[in-house]
Amino acid sequence: MKADLNKFPELNKTKFENRGKDLRLGIPVINSVVIGNSIAVGFGDGTIRIFKAGQSSEPIKAHNGIVLCISKDGDDIITGGDDGRFLRISLNGEISEIANFGSRWVDHVTANNGSLVCTSGNNVYLWMAGRKEPKILEHESTIGGVAFDSKGRRLAVSRYGGVTLWKKDYSNKWKSSNLLWKGSHNKVIFSPDDRYLVTSMQENQLHFWRLKDKTDSTMSGYGTKVKSFAFVHDTKFLVTSGSNDAVCWPFDGIGPEGRQPICLPFVGNKLVTFVEPFPNENAIFTGLSDGSVFLSEIEKSSNTIIIRSFTESEVTTISVTEDGSSILIGDMAGNILWTSIWDEENK
Amino acid sequence: MDSNKQVPVTVLTGFLGAGKTTLLNRILTEQHGKKYAVIVNEFGEQGIDNDLVVDADEEVFEMNNGCICCTVRGDLIRILSGLMKRADKLDAIIVETTGLADPAPVAQTFFVDQDVADRTKLDAIVTVADAVHLSSQLTDHHEAEEQIAFADVVLLNKIDLVDESGLEAVKERIRKINPFAKIINTTKCGVSLNEILNLDAFSLKRVLEVEPDFLESDHDHEHDDDVTSLSFVSDSPLDMEKFQDWFSKLLQTKGQDILRTKGILDFTGESDRYVFQGVHMLMDASPMGKWPEGKVRSSRLVFIGRNLENMNLKEGFENCKSA
Repeated sequence: MKADLNKFPELNKTKFENRGKDLRLGIPVINSVVIGNSIAVGFGDGTIRIFKAGQSSEPIKAHNGIVLCISKDGDDIITGGDDGRFLRISLNGEISEIANFGSRWVDHVTANNGSLVCTSGNNVYLWMAGRKEPKILEHESTIGGVAFDSKGRRLAVSRYGGVTLWKKDYSNKWKSSNLLWKGSHNKVIFSPDDRYLVTSMQENQLHFWRLKDKTDSTMSGYGTKVKSFAFVHDTKFLVTSGSNDAVCWPFDGIGPEGRQPICLPFVGNKLVTFVEPFPNENAIFTGLSDGSVFLSEIEKSSNTIIIRSFTESEVTTISVTEDGSSILIGDMAGNILWTSIWDEENK
Repeated sequence: MDSNKQVPVTVLTGFLGAGKTTLLNRILTEQHGKKYAVIVNEFGEQGIDNDLVVDADEEVFEMNNGCICCTVRGDLIRILSGLMKRADKLDAIIVETTGLADPAPVAQTFFVDQDVADRTKLDAIVTVADAVHLSSQLTDHHEAEEQIAFADVVLLNKIDLVDESGLEAVKERIRKINPFAKIINTTKCGVSLNEILNLDAFSLKRVLEVEPDFLESDHDHEHDDDVTSLSFVSDSPLDMEKFQDWFSKLLQTKGQDILRTKGILDFTGESDRYVFQGVHMLMDASPMGKWPEGKVRSSRLVFIGRNLENMNLKEGFENCKSA
């Protein structure tokens, strides 16, 4: 099923929709996280749902208001909410409270290699393995995002004016250094090889630092804020939302500076709102502002197939199971598609 | 963007002790059948506890877009974007600011951030003022002047504690700074919520209803307030090109001193009325339909700000008239 870029997608459902679970929940989908071959989804009514192959998913009441953020710690789900709670939820749905900040929101959560992090306002709360009380890392402004490097030895904290990079030395003390760039920085990620740090900004652009020599540069040209971006598995490309195309910046060799990105176009000139790499492929899933989702090969843009037709609501999350067999798509209006990617005969 | 889908946001300003907390408690506890979220500041007044109260740090930051006076409230962008993801829709959001905060970055947030502008709209700036202490606050703190200058509604509270002449004097002073704010007299913030919420004061349609005293200009500078207002009216049509040229240069160079502007303009050769309003150098403008039949076409322009007398506003406006 190849999409003809000169034609609007057909109104009827795709084969992926026909064979999958197509749920109309009516509750905004905030984000999702992959744990092995299960996918946990956070919603705007404080519930989460855990999707496993061949099982139905029941809502689990986690937060009082909104699940603001969702991530994982090993095989557990971790979430933060506007009820000020930082929660750990097992894949069986058992909830335990890690911390409670009252009327202050828990904006970001992450974990790696035994270290557990949540942020509330200007502070990072960091639980080291085996410790009950968190270490508090203070910052001068509200935190826009947090990310561990692949080993969990460095923690990047984006904020107004740049990124604070915390590094654990061999006596397990955390020391900070600053990567500065004017403006407010939101989401932050490391490249999978830990060579680069990338942030999205309040302005319609991304910024990156090469950590080896702290050189930095801006990736701009977007029509809106870039809210979703990710490295495609082999780190060759950084794929980004925020434009009518999925914009893929080359991060091989000398990096993106002075080079043109590859732009993958889609039907109908809609805004790209979410991008997700296909595990172990040089391909990406792209979600648009009308709810449609496409799978494209980065260097063969003619090879694009439609996964979900439009729902009239912007795609807010796409997750693919670790084995690459199933995909979950969610949007702002609360529509969820949970389906297998491969046809039976190709399995 | 469909304005019905945008949640109205009321900005509530005023000095500590003026009565903001009393008002917020009323909004949160009265049986009005509506769902309101309130964003409060951690340095603000205590004593509000409710599921829909959000703690915020007033965090002003500059946009890195070359616009020097373009400051926004980063915490508001974060919280408003979060609130818009709620499953249950809010009827309105109220943002409390502390007494010493400049209201401009709050207002500018609604013009500058696309996500905020798409899903919410600035409804009105409501300033709670203490009838007893406002005069001395206006003299001592320029923030008090700004809060009056930006206001669409001034809730003049504690009027039971001043005599009639004192009340008239303080109202007179408010009108000098801001001739188009609606002044509501109250004791203990006893005002119907309909008079302060859902006013749509920032819509261009509302500008058409603004009728300040354009002709009355007895500017006795008895208090010598830093922030003042000036208004101009012209019955002869303006040249659009000349006006745009003058006005955009004016906002670019003096935008930091010009707090609010509103205007209805009659351009030569145009059958529609042009309406605009601005906060500092950010402006919203649009043609707003034909002139009403039988009414004289005229242009009117109001400025509220500092050092207005040094901007040659009258001369600049006169020069925009079609030759």
